Amino acid sequence: MIRYIVRRLVQMIPLLLGISILVFLLVHLSPGDPVRMLLGEEATEEDVERLNAIYGFDLPLHIQYFRWLSNALRGNLGVSIRQGISVTTLLSERLGATLELAVVSVLIAVALGIPLGIIAAVRRGSLVDYFSMILALVGVSTPGFWLGLMLLTHVALKVDFLPMFGRDGSIFGGLWILITQLRVDVLLEGLRHVLLPAVSIGTGMMAIITRLTRSSMLEVLGKDYIRTAKAKGLNNQVVVLKHALRNALLPVITIIGIQFGAMLGGAVVTETVFAWPGVGRLIVNAIRQRDFPIIQGGVLMMAVVFALVNLAVDISYALVNPRIRYD
Amino acid sequence: MRIRLFLVALLVMVVGLGGIAYANSDTLVIGSGAEAVGLDPRLETDVPSFERINVIMEPLVKFDVEMNLVPALATDWEFSDDALTLTFYLREGVKWHDGKPFTAEDVKYTFEWVLDPNNAAPNRGLYADIDRIEVVNDHVVSFHLGKPYSFLLNNIARMPITPAHDGDREDFRQAPIGTGPYKLVQWTRDDRMVLVANEEYWGGKPNIPNLVFRAIPENATRLLAFEAGEIDIYQGGVVPQELPRLEADPRFVVQRVPGTGYNYLGFNTQVGALSDVRVRQAINYLINREGIVTRVLNNIGTPGVGPVPETLPWFNPDVQRYEYNPEKAKELLREAGYGPGDISLRLFTNENPDRVRIAEILQFEAQQIGVKIEVFVEEWGAYLSRIQETDDFDIFILGWSGQLDPDRAMIRQFHTDGANNYGKYSNERLDYLLEYGRTVPPDSQESIEIYREAQEIVVREVPYGFINYSEEVGLHHNYIKNWRVHPYGAGAWQDVHLIVKER
Repeated sequence: MIRYIVRRLVQMIPLLLGISILVFLLVHLSPGDPVRMLLGEEATEEDVERLNAIYGFDLPLHIQYFRWLSNALRGNLGVSIRQGISVTTLLSERLGATLELAVVSVLIAVALGIPLGIIAAVRRGSLVDYFSMILALVGVSTPGFWLGLMLLTHVALKVDFLPMFGRDGSIFGGLWILITQLRVDVLLEGLRHVLLPAVSIGTGMMAIITRLTRSSMLEVLGKDYIRTAKAKGLNNQVVVLKHALRNALLPVITIIGIQFGAMLGGAVVTETVFAWPGVGRLIVNAIRQRDFPIIQGGVLMMAVVFALVNLAVDISYALVNPRIRYD
Repeated sequence: MRIRLFLVALLVMVVGLGGIAYANSDTLVIGSGAEAVGLDPRLETDVPSFERINVIMEPLVKFDVEMNLVPALATDWEFSDDALTLTFYLREGVKWHDGKPFTAEDVKYTFEWVLDPNNAAPNRGLYADIDRIEVVNDHVVSFHLGKPYSFLLNNIARMPITPAHDGDREDFRQAPIGTGPYKLVQWTRDDRMVLVANEEYWGGKPNIPNLVFRAIPENATRLLAFEAGEIDIYQGGVVPQELPRLEADPRFVVQRVPGTGYNYLGFNTQVGALSDVRVRQAINYLINREGIVTRVLNNIGTPGVGPVPETLPWFNPDVQRYEYNPEKAKELLREAGYGPGDISLRLFTNENPDRVRIAEILQFEAQQIGVKIEVFVEEWGAYLSRIQETDDFDIFILGWSGQLDPDRAMIRQFHTDGANNYGKYSNERLDYLLEYGRTVPPDSQESIEIYREAQEIVVREVPYGFINYSEEVGLHHNYIKNWRVHPYGAGAWQDVHLIVKER
């Protein structure tokens, strides 16, 4: 198992190298130039040239890339052109907010999606099945930003407890304070801010999980070993939850992993609607402003996280189904 | 048991935190449309940054809401008759937030830093005519210019002064000090900036002890937060469709004031049919300005006339007006020797939805008289590169903001060597007028006459088709007093220490 993990980690190196070259080429070859974005409509050619020289954009592309790479290998992702702050600082101060939103959304989606999917599969063709499938259809076709705005207009505006925007303290920090100091206020303050954005992201994901759990369960429930288990006279609940669910969960776990990874960079719209200070907004703004170091560093960081999530998914297969082994 | 615990927790949540949604009476909360890039006036170019900088730091002189220059850190100033020496008499007894006195050395330091080509000051060009800065004594400082530039004062008003003893600190850009009414306490990027009143402010202790900027990029969310009372003053782009409702609501105050910018069609005056002035005039007659202002801009703004805002004394009301007139346009094209189907033009715009709609309306109007216009919508960065680096376009739509004087409104855009003359327009008489105008005192009748003639040329020869003048809209709760929306937009503040919150 350890050897397997090490091998997977080593395999990530060429992958990341390839991604960094691709991103570097994409941002440098697409039209638009960071100095012009900084100077805006009023730019003078003299100022454009002067600033390009200060930032080193007048050097040949391959030299710019190797400069960036040699710094990156030493853990220095460069300095934002626009803000003059190190990219590692900018990313790390937002990573917490992004992870928090992703984790809470996944928890909401899993806590609702899997039970709904199971019930729908077990009571196939019943009212519950139709209801949960309609819910899934609506959920998957509702755009997150629209749901977010609806939640703000119809829920947050009427319920004083729910704020309209922003983040207040980390819920991970809040949990730690709850455990160490038995104080609940920090955690609650964090939760009340994360609730609506998490629901608006989690809804679409819940819909996908519900559908997938249902179809996967239906497939497994038709298998011979389930009939055998039932024939043995096992309690129906045990058959469904122990024998069927564990096997049906494999594709669901894959989807959860992919969705979780996508959320790390792809929650931009929800982050914007709720003014959530996450990584997605940082990177999209950087793309608009052609802030190369942030784009490079941000995409690289997301690639690393995505690869790690994938690895975690593969490992969790073995945990769910002991017949799967990695050597 | 567990359920009971949960219910108790829920109760605590609701009771304990229910009231927090509302901002306290001793804190002024500003809902801003974007986060600041940084807080160093020497390095920033965006409105959200100056929105925050201008409560922490101050320039020597500033514009009031009537667009008059009024004293800030300088109490008085004088321009020599040859427009070559500008002397400031500084306010005495002013202290930086760390207690050190403000002196002429700080002024010299700020502008010399900006002028040093090795520093990455983007707006260096605004001050490039300054040759030398002389500290006469602690409270008198003189700017010696290489060539006359009588409007330099307006550029000086855009640059808040930074402290010589602290301005080189590595994190100054994130945690600056200033002489302004509020001091920075804490900044969590993309979330909030917290400031506290400067008790020793020279203009008097601010009325509201705390000031918080919240960055809320989505207009709809910012408006909902405003209506819910989480924000006291709403800044940055009110959704126009919401204005009638907000104006009718007694809880809110909507302020409107003519702005300092305009939107325009830019013509490539060097290639193809558009190099003929009659063709440019014909297109200009196709712009339905009234219709665009009412239908596209929802009545925010006024029909465009020329490059100088109507509120400035230099504005020339007698220039030719191009009322919407397709017949006249057809006639001009015929005169120029073009029949229906002879002209095909490429129009570029960025993704700004108003500009896209204006482009489509023009496309339709042009089609009616047999002129083909193809519309291309580009992402802002790519668009800016096309306009500035190439001449691969026939028409483009863009806007200018902060047109505080006629020099700023014309010399960069229409002078043959102008830095922003993207359409390569050239007129000898206009070049002469724009250069001469810089040597004449701005408040003289001569200055007014020079720039009125210049506007007459620009409007007649149509390097630009002026679409609309901008309008600034301010929105705040009725319990906020003494705040006025500034023609210069969200980046300019007026006497923030006098604002009162009555709740």
